[in-house]
Amino acid sequence: MTTRRRITSLLAAGLAATLMLSACGGSEEEGGPDAQGRTSIDMWVFAELHGTYYEAMAEAWNEKNPDKEIKLDVTVFPYDEMHNKLQLAVNSGKGLPDVVDIEVNKFSNFVTEDGRTPLADLSEAAEPYQEDIVQARMDLYAREGKQLGFPTHVGAQVAFYNVPLLEKAGVDYTTIETWDDFKAAGAKYNKATGKAFGVASTDTNIVQPLVMAQLGGNLFDEDGNVTVNSPEVVEAIELLQDMQKAGALSTIPGGSPDIEEAYGPINNGDYAAIVYPAWYTSRFVDYMPDLAGDIAIAPAPVIEGGEVATVGGGGTGTAVIDSSPDKEFAMEWLAFAKLSPEANVAVWEELGFDPVNMSVWEDKEVTHNPENKFNKYFRTNLFDVLNEVKGDIGHFESFENPNLPKVDEVFTTSTYNQIFGDGVPAKQALDQAQADLENQLK
Amino acid sequence: MVVVRRLLYSQKAAPYLFIAPFVITLLAFWLLPLARTFLLSTQEVVFGQAAFIGLDNYQRLWEDRLFWKAMFNSARYMVLTIALLIPIPLVLAALINSKIGSDRVKAVFKASMFVPALTSVVVAGIIFRLMFAETGTGLMNQIVGVFGLDPVRWLRIDTGGLIALLALAMWRWTGVNILYFLAGMQSIPEEYYEAATIDGASRLQQFFHITLPNLKPTIVYVTTISIYGGLAMFLESFMLYRGNSSPNDQGLTVIGYLYRRGIEQNDLGFASAVGVVLVVVIMAINLTFLTLSGTFKKESAR
Amino acid sequence: MSAEPATRTRIQLPYWLHGSVQTALLLVLTLVVLAPLLIMFVATFQDGNDVIRRGLSLDVDRSSLSLDNYVMLFTDSGPYFRWFANSILLTVVQVAGTLLVSSFVAYGFAVYEFKGKTALFIAVLLLMAVPFEIMMLPLYVLVNDVGLDDSYSVIVLPFLAAAVTIFYFRQYFLGIPKDLLEAGRMDGATEFGIFFKIVVPVAKPAFAAMAILNGMIIWNNFLWPLLVLRSESKFTLPIGLNTLLTPHENNYELLIIGSMFSLLPVLVLFLLFQRFFVAGMTAGALKG
Repeated sequence: MTTRRRITSLLAAGLAATLMLSACGGSEEEGGPDAQGRTSIDMWVFAELHGTYYEAMAEAWNEKNPDKEIKLDVTVFPYDEMHNKLQLAVNSGKGLPDVVDIEVNKFSNFVTEDGRTPLADLSEAAEPYQEDIVQARMDLYAREGKQLGFPTHVGAQVAFYNVPLLEKAGVDYTTIETWDDFKAAGAKYNKATGKAFGVASTDTNIVQPLVMAQLGGNLFDEDGNVTVNSPEVVEAIELLQDMQKAGALSTIPGGSPDIEEAYGPINNGDYAAIVYPAWYTSRFVDYMPDLAGDIAIAPAPVIEGGEVATVGGGGTGTAVIDSSPDKEFAMEWLAFAKLSPEANVAVWEELGFDPVNMSVWEDKEVTHNPENKFNKYFRTNLFDVLNEVKGDIGHFESFENPNLPKVDEVFTTSTYNQIFGDGVPAKQALDQAQADLENQLK
Repeated sequence: MVVVRRLLYSQKAAPYLFIAPFVITLLAFWLLPLARTFLLSTQEVVFGQAAFIGLDNYQRLWEDRLFWKAMFNSARYMVLTIALLIPIPLVLAALINSKIGSDRVKAVFKASMFVPALTSVVVAGIIFRLMFAETGTGLMNQIVGVFGLDPVRWLRIDTGGLIALLALAMWRWTGVNILYFLAGMQSIPEEYYEAATIDGASRLQQFFHITLPNLKPTIVYVTTISIYGGLAMFLESFMLYRGNSSPNDQGLTVIGYLYRRGIEQNDLGFASAVGVVLVVVIMAINLTFLTLSGTFKKESAR
Repeated sequence: MSAEPATRTRIQLPYWLHGSVQTALLLVLTLVVLAPLLIMFVATFQDGNDVIRRGLSLDVDRSSLSLDNYVMLFTDSGPYFRWFANSILLTVVQVAGTLLVSSFVAYGFAVYEFKGKTALFIAVLLLMAVPFEIMMLPLYVLVNDVGLDDSYSVIVLPFLAAAVTIFYFRQYFLGIPKDLLEAGRMDGATEFGIFFKIVVPVAKPAFAAMAILNGMIIWNNFLWPLLVLRSESKFTLPIGLNTLLTPHENNYELLIIGSMFSLLPVLVLFLLFQRFFVAGMTAGALKG
């Protein structure tokens, strides 16, 4: 008898548990403010630091808008997992957040070629701030006339030079303007010291697009088809590969400058010149304390006679999910949190990123604040450099193509490793990438 | 109540009640998803909207260089782990099983060899990733430095990455395989050896003529799980390379490719085709093995 | 045979020397096998970022060693012990569930004759060799569709009737004398009563072995929970540790010490129940 009872109760418990769990998971969220007039917003991000920033922005919003407060619930996931989960949630239309951070290289996974997307059009919410924002960065997240995401920073690529090391080798960084100058300086430095000068990164696709954009190249043709072996792209990569052969670029442990394994060697002075987006300032300050006072920021090298001086590198587009019941509210808050001047001051002061709202760039009190930890660390002021290139910040159109994520994957796992790691000629590796991609995208 | 009582006492109904959980599991968690995999493999799915595209996914798969690379990587890993993880544990097991040597040392050795198997792949992967660091200060580079060699960029080159993967596999599984072989050896009757010794056979001859043939069932079993484990390897590579991307895809395995195309790139149709191919390959190997070893015959005779 | 003279000479070596060569070899191998864990243990006293930058190294700056990481682990390790508790809870519940359900099924296969038995048992044999990863995609889509993502039930349910465990129990149950079961029936026990009152007590060693085997698998389970779980507060140890490895966070101290600390329960249990561990982990090799 006892046995029977035990089994029946076990089965009943199991059944009840399953039903309860399904009921919990299946409940649909309702929109609108709660009893206290606060609207709940669910947000996913992939970096702890971003989460802290948005929480601060929610507080700032609540101070200004006591009549329509936000109750922000931020979840931080690891990078890969967040994007993977978002894709699957988008597929099923269930378990979606209201607002989400999407990394620029993954952004195109959320818009099809014919413009279908689960993301909301933010154009209207952007209106009040539009004219102060770096347009190239807005374009990054615009598709078919719809603004699908707001940028976090410009990420303008600049050069970081280790001045004492360069001086010892008799190299004057202020004379470096073009990539040819960079190459000559690097070769000279390498010969004098036997150490590496710049970085040839194999695991990120950031500096390579800069050179492609400077040469007027594109990873896709006018119809959006992959052309990663087009003449300009090959030229850009060959230019980098030549610099590597001349000793001006070397691979780095970890595969790119922005990774723990690389901070060590850079901090030790094993590399003297890093061309990378402006947000790399925060990496210096946080992870390479030994170099305080040594690093000068300068414009990134250019192509002689080219129109584009620099392009943004990396980035995060923040989007609102179209099916969110609190879509309108979320859009309004997001525009405040990402585009307003006060938000952009915080972007610089808290995160050390170059803000997209250019009105901040001119505010000397903010940009030249001697107490600012970034200003204290570097020999030159980031904003002086940014204002110098301001008019020539280009937009690399390839970033808008829906197939960019696949190109990025092939480049950062195979192509760049073959070229900079194994010394495969640029043309050959790019032809291979083209063939692989054509098959993948068939 | 009467019905229930009759059910509980009925020898006819009982087996079905006992088996029911398995049948439900089989249907809900294996056959249904499997059917769905087949269905998905003929579709293209965009934001939840599926469209039938026939065998296109399979055609793309056939022409896909990376798929074949992943297959090659998995097969290579499987073959090499079998080549390493059978003879070496076999010899070590024979060493422990021999009468010479101190029993206490053997016990310590056996227990220590087992410890890596207790270490999760996640933790083991983190440790091996750090041991195979490409900096000159990394443990493996310090070891090659003793021989006067330059630091090796272990996880950035194909051979280096393969060595790291195999080292990880050896580390985790040598001890377990030793125990399998020991169990097998200890079940061989002592008289066989006594008779051989009287006939004047050397230890080496005894090993080849008595130990090995009698261990055949164990060896066959270990080989089977190694085939399965080798082809389905994913997590070791995922941890070692800190994610699913490795230089030149040198660490990409079939499951890794399925994960990349399905989860990371959201191409459910294509990924399902990868899954179907893997099921077919593994099923073919299994059915062959089960037939050869006579398991089916035994079951139907029972 | 050219090897023969050599073998002869070896046999003529003094007994004690022969033994010590073997002993030395085994001791060296013991050291090699334990080295990775020992070096990682030393790393728990070092600065985490430094370890990531330099790799695990024999060359340790002794002045940099400190107990800071241990203080951090117990005072400021965020969700770490939550993950630990989750892992323990999930392992205990799932092991108990799997043992109950799988032994139940195995008993059905072992003692009864019924229609479709052969076919179903072949299904068990085949499932033993199908990697779950293949089912993972469609199952995940399914789970998402019914809104069961981020719940433990989805992690547990598919594995309650586990093929390997069923197979092992069945082999064990086949060895139980039928007379014992008949005696139970004569006493008026139900079929289930026989299972719980007669079979289970006899099969205790099998339950111990399977508890260990399943416990190990579940404690280390990674891919499926990684897909299913969404909230950090529900993460298990492997999932949580993996999140610490991403370059976008900086808690390498916790990654290193947390990894080592996660081995502790398993090691302690191993030292206490070594015999059962060996039986459990090598359970598959019994004769079919």
